[in-house]
Amino acid sequence: MEHLAYGAYGLYLVLILAGGWAAVRCRNLVRALLGLIMTLFGVAGMYFLMAAPFMALMQILIYVGAVSVLIFFAIMLTRAPGGEAGEEGGGPPRPALRTVMTLLSGLLPAAILAAVIWTKTPQALPLKPELPLGRLGQILTGPYVLAFELISVVLLAAMAGAVVLGFERRKGA
Amino acid sequence: MSPLVLFHLAALLLLAFGLYGLTSRRTLIGMLISVELMLNGAGLALVASARLTPASDELGQLGTLLVMGLAAAEATLVLAMVLVAVKRWGTSDSDRLSALRG
Repeated sequence: MEHLAYGAYGLYLVLILAGGWAAVRCRNLVRALLGLIMTLFGVAGMYFLMAAPFMALMQILIYVGAVSVLIFFAIMLTRAPGGEAGEEGGGPPRPALRTVMTLLSGLLPAAILAAVIWTKTPQALPLKPELPLGRLGQILTGPYVLAFELISVVLLAAMAGAVVLGFERRKGA
Repeated sequence: MSPLVLFHLAALLLLAFGLYGLTSRRTLIGMLISVELMLNGAGLALVASARLTPASDELGQLGTLLVMGLAAAEATLVLAMVLVAVKRWGTSDSDRLSALRG
């Protein structure tokens, strides 16, 4: 069983790697979005592997179902006049030094954190029993009801803000 | 390697991809995709810590749920902002949106 879990972990890691690479490197934004979706599925698989199926389903529902569709809308609505939708690029190529700096900006914080994880991580416990969904609901509507309400308000404010920003005043009104 | 380290390294990978994309992408939408990658890494690290250490399991999973909700709100707002920027300047290229004039 142990080997099976490591095999599944490897599969999800490959999904995350390939998807992440596509998400940050593809010139075409639609392909980058597909890479992002692949990564999201990989992370969902890791949630399943940790015996947190509710988180995995929420990941698929919220990220793959809602956020990706939003990003797809954004890509399609910001087409340059006369250009292909989602085509990134044009402009002069960036100097080599800038590319190196960009690479460093991603790798350096990750390397520092990796060193911390490597040396300081506490001994992992065996996996806890799966958290029943009812318990999650009780906590969310009991002691943490304020956070629950606040995130609703944040979502409402974001939606209202998006409507206000996207509102077009009619000519002559 | 313990499973905890493995999951945290996967989350770290997402952070590195996100940071690299955020600095190398030219368009605002590409940068939004990179931010989503980083938020996912945060969620993964939270759940891994909650599941595999003595920390409270419920709190870790709830925190990740809230991160997902915030990511959805953030994506909505960024979409609206990018649309406004494109309507006003005709491009979502971050190199050409550098002017700070109203």
